[in-house]
Amino acid sequence: MDHIKSFRNYLALSVALLVASCSSGYKLVKTNRAEYNVNKELAVDSSIIKTYLPYKVQLEAEMNKVIGHSAAQMSKKSSDTLPESLLSNFFSDAVLEQALKYDQNIDFALPSTKGGLRVDFPKGNVTVSNVFELMPFENQLMIFTLKGTDVKQILDFIASTNGQPVARLQMKIVDKKPVDVLVNGKPFEVNKTYRVLTSDYIGGGGDNVPAFKNATDTKVIGLKVRDALMNYVKEAEAAGKTINPKLDGRITKN
Amino acid sequence: MEELLKTNRRDFLRTGGIAAAALALNLNAFEAEAAGGVTKLTILHTNDVHSRVEPFPIDGSKYEGLGGTARRSALIKRIRSEEKNVLLFDAGDIFQGTPYFNKFGGELEIKLMTAMGYDAVTMGNHDFDNGMEGFYKQLPHANFPILCSNYDFSNTILNKSILPYKVFKKDGLKIGVFGVGIELHGLVEGKNYGDTVYLDPVAKANEIADVLKNDFKCDLVICLSHLGYKYNTDKVSDQILAKNNKSIDLIIGGHTHTFMDQPEDVQNLSGAITTINQVGFAGINLGRVDYYFERYKGKKLKMASPYLISNKLEA
Repeated sequence: MDHIKSFRNYLALSVALLVASCSSGYKLVKTNRAEYNVNKELAVDSSIIKTYLPYKVQLEAEMNKVIGHSAAQMSKKSSDTLPESLLSNFFSDAVLEQALKYDQNIDFALPSTKGGLRVDFPKGNVTVSNVFELMPFENQLMIFTLKGTDVKQILDFIASTNGQPVARLQMKIVDKKPVDVLVNGKPFEVNKTYRVLTSDYIGGGGDNVPAFKNATDTKVIGLKVRDALMNYVKEAEAAGKTINPKLDGRITKN
Repeated sequence: MEELLKTNRRDFLRTGGIAAAALALNLNAFEAEAAGGVTKLTILHTNDVHSRVEPFPIDGSKYEGLGGTARRSALIKRIRSEEKNVLLFDAGDIFQGTPYFNKFGGELEIKLMTAMGYDAVTMGNHDFDNGMEGFYKQLPHANFPILCSNYDFSNTILNKSILPYKVFKKDGLKIGVFGVGIELHGLVEGKNYGDTVYLDPVAKANEIADVLKNDFKCDLVICLSHLGYKYNTDKVSDQILAKNNKSIDLIIGGHTHTFMDQPEDVQNLSGAITTINQVGFAGINLGRVDYYFERYKGKKLKMASPYLISNKLEA
């Protein structure tokens, strides 16, 4: 019998202790496990689609809403390849500006790595969808209190990776090392303690950014990275301003 | 499969005498099944679905085209049509991850889970993302209990909304299910969990699991956990809970978004097996664990008896 053959293939692993307490009259004799991949090979339940369709229609209308205007195309490619770019400056300045409304004591910001900036940001109309595409993740902003020695590791990381999106931080990269570092306009001091704004993802060791795990204190400020960007765009629009980021030489390389 | 067998063989050797006893019992179990004395229970599970209502968009990303509630629902319906006793669980982080959550606050996610017939879920840290009021607001859409035993909600709006455990009855079987959640401090913004008190999950899980097994006489005890599979530190995890309990048969895990090659079987404090399973995230996979129970009519078993484990469904 096939049944018996397949049965012999089972390898026993375990013992379920049957004590007097298990007197329900049932004994566990075997377990079989499997996992289904949910992919296009599977049928769809149309009643489920019918349930979410009205939400989907409403959502798409919302996503295409124009919430602001931008003066320049900000390219992800420049941000990936140059020490400083329009996209990285826009992103970090916008996030820092909004975070300061929640906590004014921030020495500098590294709100994302270059890899975290997902797409180009457009010239002209800016929609909700543009912001979601730039920052699709649900990361929370956090402030990490770090010793100068740990901040030094982060500065080394920024320099060795040819620059990252930063605000309130200035440096020259010489031979992949940080030189003439200014934090909020003042020279970096390794004996000082700094409060650094970043995301829960970066702070948790994401993208191999070092040293955040050594923080002496952490604070979740209650603002998501994407919401910071969204608020920044909306506030600029409300003030009648066009988003117009500039290169200011915050990170240079020679 | 080759690798799977190797792993099993190693465990087989480690458990030595137990395995020999198991082989002897195989035939008994088979006879009972042939004689119709076996009851089969099918557990289906997801974790960290994160508002993934539709499949991932086709955009060149790692999981493009995978997941989707319409497919998952069809799959669940098919399994329900094939099996008599099915329970469907989720290990938390229902919320957050697509604009559906940002726009509708989780209403759609909960409605869809009700439509799919979820039997119980536990709370993940992201389920606090709109605060406890935000979660509470969606509960009228849930036709299933929210189980969590180690958050003390006494002084919060969720006071009467969360149960520590529930006992399900299927075809004469009693299945005890409870939930445990991760430490919220440092993970969730303070105002979003307010006066929720986090209690030691291992101590609480042991207390509840023992009650389910010994007092309620459950045939199977399942823990819905949002602790995370394992960590490099000594942070409490499913692996730590599995090693340090006496009465849990299955931990359905979440939080770490772990794609496990196969469930992990851990020897617990009573010498029995606690199995850990987790199926990635976003509804990319649906996990399934079938359990077979033999009916002992009036007979009292005192000897230790093994059960058989296979990572393949019965044909």
